[in-house]
Amino acid sequence: MIEYTAQAVIVGGGATGVGILRDLSMRGISVILFELGDLAHGTSSRFHGLLHSGARYAVKDPASAAECAQENAILKKIAPNCIDDCGGWFVQTEDDDSVYTEKWLIKCQEAGISVREIPVAEAYAKEPLLKRKAVRIFEVPDAAVDGFKLVWANAKSAKRYGGEYKTYHQVERLLRDGDRIIGVSGRISGTGEGFVAHSNIVINAAGAWAPHLVGTVGISLEILCDKGALLAFNQRLFQRVINHLRQPGDGDIFVPHETITILGTTSEFVDSPEENRPTVDEVYKLLSQGEELLPEIQYHRVIRAFAGVRPLYQEEEDDRSEEKRASLANINKAVIENDVYVKAGDEVKVGDEGREVSRNFAIIDHKFEQGVEGLLSIAGGKFTTYRLMAEKASDWVACQLGNQTPCRTAIESLQPEISPDLYQQALKLLPWGAADKMLERLGSEAAIVLGEIQADPRKGQMLCECELVSVAEVQHAVIDKDAHCLSDVRRKTRLGMGTCQGAFCSYRAFPLLGQNREKYAPLREELRNFLNQRWKGIRPVLWGQQLRETELTRAIYSDLLRF
Amino acid sequence: MWDGVIIGGGLAGLIAGIRASENGKKILIVSAGVGSLTYASGTLDFGEFSVLLGKENHPFSVMGEETTRQAFEYFLRILPDYDGKWGKKNSVLTPLGELRRSDLTPRFLAAGPLNAAKQIILVAPEAPKDFFPDVFKRNLEKHFPVAHIIVKPLRADGFELHYRQGRSIPGTDYARYWNSKNGIKELQAFLTGLEREIRKGNSDIVSQETDSFKDTVVIFPGLSAGLSYSLQDLLAQVPFPVIETTLFPPSPGGRSLEDNLKRKFKAMGGELLIGCKALRAEIKDGICQSIAVESKGKELNIQARSFVLAGGGILGGGIQVTPYACQEALCNLPLYVPPEWTKEEFIGEQPYARIGVEADFNLNPIDDQGNVLLKNTYICGRMLAHWDPWTEHCGGGVSLASGYLAGGKI
Repeated sequence: MIEYTAQAVIVGGGATGVGILRDLSMRGISVILFELGDLAHGTSSRFHGLLHSGARYAVKDPASAAECAQENAILKKIAPNCIDDCGGWFVQTEDDDSVYTEKWLIKCQEAGISVREIPVAEAYAKEPLLKRKAVRIFEVPDAAVDGFKLVWANAKSAKRYGGEYKTYHQVERLLRDGDRIIGVSGRISGTGEGFVAHSNIVINAAGAWAPHLVGTVGISLEILCDKGALLAFNQRLFQRVINHLRQPGDGDIFVPHETITILGTTSEFVDSPEENRPTVDEVYKLLSQGEELLPEIQYHRVIRAFAGVRPLYQEEEDDRSEEKRASLANINKAVIENDVYVKAGDEVKVGDEGREVSRNFAIIDHKFEQGVEGLLSIAGGKFTTYRLMAEKASDWVACQLGNQTPCRTAIESLQPEISPDLYQQALKLLPWGAADKMLERLGSEAAIVLGEIQADPRKGQMLCECELVSVAEVQHAVIDKDAHCLSDVRRKTRLGMGTCQGAFCSYRAFPLLGQNREKYAPLREELRNFLNQRWKGIRPVLWGQQLRETELTRAIYSDLLRF
Repeated sequence: MWDGVIIGGGLAGLIAGIRASENGKKILIVSAGVGSLTYASGTLDFGEFSVLLGKENHPFSVMGEETTRQAFEYFLRILPDYDGKWGKKNSVLTPLGELRRSDLTPRFLAAGPLNAAKQIILVAPEAPKDFFPDVFKRNLEKHFPVAHIIVKPLRADGFELHYRQGRSIPGTDYARYWNSKNGIKELQAFLTGLEREIRKGNSDIVSQETDSFKDTVVIFPGLSAGLSYSLQDLLAQVPFPVIETTLFPPSPGGRSLEDNLKRKFKAMGGELLIGCKALRAEIKDGICQSIAVESKGKELNIQARSFVLAGGGILGGGIQVTPYACQEALCNLPLYVPPEWTKEEFIGEQPYARIGVEADFNLNPIDDQGNVLLKNTYICGRMLAHWDPWTEHCGGGVSLASGYLAGGKI
């Protein structure tokens, strides 16, 4: 049994969890985070990677829109290495309602979102693939954000401030002493070893998994699991984010990421966060909706489909009662009295579709709800506002602990600046695109990788030719103590995420895995798991070029290598 | 008017072309790409033949044992540098140093000599792309626990600049070098040096008595000597057995087979149109009259008495799949489409792989009632329904047999 002690424990290693980890660590609070899998393995990587300008929510959810607008500007400043500030367009087609457009323009202005109209002819010249049905086009400060990178950047920044995170640590229960939560206990996946952590405060940031955690002490938390499926195309179809200017719906956002494009999203309530398998029906839905903006969409190569589960916070029906409203007001009041502002998830509408539920977030102090002290749940929200959610949760924690240090996450860059020397060295040893991407992923750690290449130029070869990842960088990820399987390596390097979907690069990882046999499963098993995991996303999009690629992959592994 | 036009320049198409040309026919092969042979290892497999023969609708069962066996013998006749005996399998090394079984293998690929080896020397050319000596050695140790295994690095003069820049060298580039004048000279010097080391022994290599060199086997990946006369001569002079391995694609073994078949086809008067896509066919009264081919930006209309569809199925592009339909790209022939498309586990059976055109024993396409749809058209290789080369390990066998059969029908 391993024992940990900290002032605060965070459960959940998604964007919110690591955001809180960083925030509290920067305030000098000792904190440890437990994550049941790898960081960002859940919802924080299973989305379109759109850094909202707020424009999408302007009409329906003005409060969210305004938050997004502010956070968008902050994140571009503090995390430029995780963000491609490509901008975004909202495209009104001849089938769309111009009344909505007018309303949207007003609402954007109210939310402080800058909007600039682009002449249609100019737009077609800049985005030649865009369907020739546009009537009006508006530019907004949307951007593309890399969920994996941002989550890891937060975790690493937190670590520099003394924060700790433990992956593959599954928290099984909350430890309770009377009315107080005094820590958590759980088990390490793989080894099965138990652990216990003692703390003054536990923060439940488990996202879609949050109800399960508080359920262990008999608290019910209503989180709606809203599954969203997405498609990844093998090239950059558009240079910027393309939104359909209409009531937000399925398949109306294209987000370019490095060499690929993601089309999202569907929305369907599911029973559990584990239901993240994209279905053929969802794929067809996305194709037919995406066609509104991208003609002949079926001839563009789709490399995979994937799905995430959005944790939408919903107050229970009886929360609507006056009594509960009063108690909700009390939370706010109680906290405000402590000079901290906590926003509760207000304005909840219940409908058939997940989009009817506010994308606002809620911070629930279980003392007021259930009389349990030292336990905070954070629910709802979205990736773009993760920092704000973390700030509010951390304000609450700091207040509980009597810590007066103000939040600095909005002003301090997530990654130490890359020195010009390091940049020059990278450019000398690697092709330009590969050097740039590596520096974005690794920051100052890139020095280690470059040192390896300098010592042995063979390690500068591109192991992953789709995503331009060098042998040395994959090796660096393979020996990282946070990597336990090839999928962990993938999340850090993008290995297997390009066009070949692992056909060539996973083979090339063999010698590196072979050198670290004590950490990994036998090669065959490791590869089987990795290819199966990739297969999950390929299966529903198995046509055209990707089907041909799949036949090649089968030829290699089933026939040539006899796996 | 051609006697036969073959669509597809892979194994099935080339074999059909060679056989028909041998029969004095005037043959044109039209190929959109270069075929998939370079993805293959250069061995031809027939899988568990007797099991496949008994499988209803499997191409082997449609064509029958006699035809398949004749095709096997025919291949050995046109490429005598291949080893193989009907009904007897050879072991070959995989790119990872494991063993698999095969039926027709280029000379020097059969791994048989390893069984008796007391000492195995794995030559590891510097910076090979997609070849990992460490992993290979570990697997050899598992399969041949008695043998002493030594990795012998080799830096080739011809690639000095590559090494210095840290560039890895594809197996196909190494193979081309070893088959060049400089390469052969260097190889000869290397093997002579190795012979000396084996005689005298060194810190790694145990010295062997002069007359029992057979205890030592040298594995030299990527020579592609099987179809190269100069390398065969060289290896014949070496007193110890040298064997090769199959390699990761693009593989020199597959490329060498492709080059040889193309040369044979052309030598017999066949013509090849590569990079030209067959667009559509004109069909009248159950006869394919002509095909339209995309050539240098314009369309060519090509007439022939017979046609062979050998476009490589899904991988080759002869069968096209969109989210909404599966189509045989040229004649729009009906396809057998399995009711289930995929399985959950990636490695292993995938039902979609059995998609294809159903054919009778003459390889004429048929409908679900068994009626012949095109009397002068023959279906070959991966265009045929009801088989999966990757789980049945019979890719080369079916393509060879169907190409042989179709070539004889033209």
